[in-house]
Amino acid sequence: MGPIMGMNRTMTEERTADYRPSLDNGREGGLLAAIGQLRGSFAGSALIALISIAALLGLWEWLAIAFDVPTWLVPKPSDFLGRLVSDWQLIVGHAVATSITIVEGFALGVLVAVPLALAISSIGALERGLYPVIVFLNIMPKTVVGPILIIWFGIGPLVAALIVFLMCFFPVLVDAMAGFKAVDRRLFYISRSMGAGAWQSFAKFRLPAAMPHIVSGMKIGVVKAVEGVIIAEFIASNKGLGFMIMQASSFMDMPLMFAGLIAAAIVALLFNGLMSVFERQMMPWAHTGH
Amino acid sequence: MTAVQSETNPSASALASSGGSSKGASIHAKGISKIYGSGENAFRALGPIDLDIKPGEFVSLIGPSGCGKSTTLLLVSGLEPPSEGRVEVDGMPLTRPISEVGIVFQDHLLLDFRTALKNVMLQQEIRGLDKAELRERAANLFDRLGLKGAEDRYPRQLSGGMRQRVSIARALVHDPSMLLMDEPFGALDAITRTQIRHDLEMLWLETRKTVLFITHSIEEAVGLSDRVLVMSTSPGRIVEEIPIDLPRPRPAHLGEYPEFSRYAQQIYEIFSKLGVYRF
Repeated sequence: MGPIMGMNRTMTEERTADYRPSLDNGREGGLLAAIGQLRGSFAGSALIALISIAALLGLWEWLAIAFDVPTWLVPKPSDFLGRLVSDWQLIVGHAVATSITIVEGFALGVLVAVPLALAISSIGALERGLYPVIVFLNIMPKTVVGPILIIWFGIGPLVAALIVFLMCFFPVLVDAMAGFKAVDRRLFYISRSMGAGAWQSFAKFRLPAAMPHIVSGMKIGVVKAVEGVIIAEFIASNKGLGFMIMQASSFMDMPLMFAGLIAAAIVALLFNGLMSVFERQMMPWAHTGH
Repeated sequence: MTAVQSETNPSASALASSGGSSKGASIHAKGISKIYGSGENAFRALGPIDLDIKPGEFVSLIGPSGCGKSTTLLLVSGLEPPSEGRVEVDGMPLTRPISEVGIVFQDHLLLDFRTALKNVMLQQEIRGLDKAELRERAANLFDRLGLKGAEDRYPRQLSGGMRQRVSIARALVHDPSMLLMDEPFGALDAITRTQIRHDLEMLWLETRKTVLFITHSIEEAVGLSDRVLVMSTSPGRIVEEIPIDLPRPRPAHLGEYPEFSRYAQQIYEIFSKLGVYRF
């Protein structure tokens, strides 16, 4: 509890310096008040999260030592965190391979889904013809095609990227279609009254108007991609974190498996973070406030 | 009276000088109608109707929902072809969408990704007009429409009234000869509506665009127009033409004029006769 108390003191001092009469009562609250204030800010919630994770790992370490749990069954945090440090080159190499697979699969998914969504939502016959096929493909578990793709393309990151593509393709397609369809016809009238040609109408009106839908599809797509990539690498790759974990499993190397798990979580966090940054770029009004 | 007004207003002359202000266009429509579907399923949404709007005139179309008011606007702008009849703008038959036009709909239809100013400047981008000149005109319009400080805000950060003002600025920034408005204040609250009505009237007095204004509101129609055309439903026809002879600019509370009540009464009576109102 030492660090927490120390932090509490600093927070209280800060509040005293920034004296506001209306909050006078809160100053007496001590620890509770400080935590309450911490909860409000981003740095505060990050700090609380870090502290609770550290506490959890500490408890884990202590239990593992106290009950003498063998490393091959449940490794101690010090074991796998140690591996994360000592084997960082191996792990980073696989993490990079995984990231490249995500980028490839996701980019392909978006590049195919958005134009296809535009075509389907613009041409009625296409929608009637293609939609049942799309619904069927969407319902089908994507990993099933893994073995087929392996026969076609051989084991490797390409197959993993194709599975990632299949996983993130559908949410982007469905939301992009909804987006293109939701564009108000009167917006098209306005673009026509300005004398916009077909390309300008699309680039300056229709695509931007559909963009919030497309971005929300991409957000779901990224989640699916980082989820799917590990499974894809389990079954169909010779590179990447999924492959590394599978290999560690066959050697009963529990600490490396746990280290791989943490690395996979960091990769997922990274991509979700990148997507948030992208969303912020695309929809600035949602974040700049009044 | 109005000429004196526009000369004494500095921003009005600035507006005129920065745009070479084009004068209002004349609109002439003969027997236009719109029929959807064909054969037994054919549905006559409008007309046939005739329209004769003089350059610089402010004309309102008022009528119940479904009388074809909005369709009339689309036909007059050339955005939809009429099923019968023809439209002439400035004496030229209309065969494709006219570009010398600004359109304002009930919904602002601004692009969320663009700031208020960039939404307005879309006119310049698409039409390939001179950027500096259009910026100046935009700045002027923002000033006139009470939008100062909103230039870099995104539509979602603006109130409904402000968005509609941006939408009006977008419709006027390229100095069109005609302004088409389809229930532009329909989604606004009564107080905002009264203010924006006045602001539009002042802008119109200075620029004298030809305006075709579509509305449900008797107050807006009488408060703004030189002439009110009353429409009936199925099929949409113009049943009455009422010239509005009230001094301008007209006050916030139109009840000040006894004539206003007379005009309003006249429109209510037509609506009652048509069965729009059943009291």
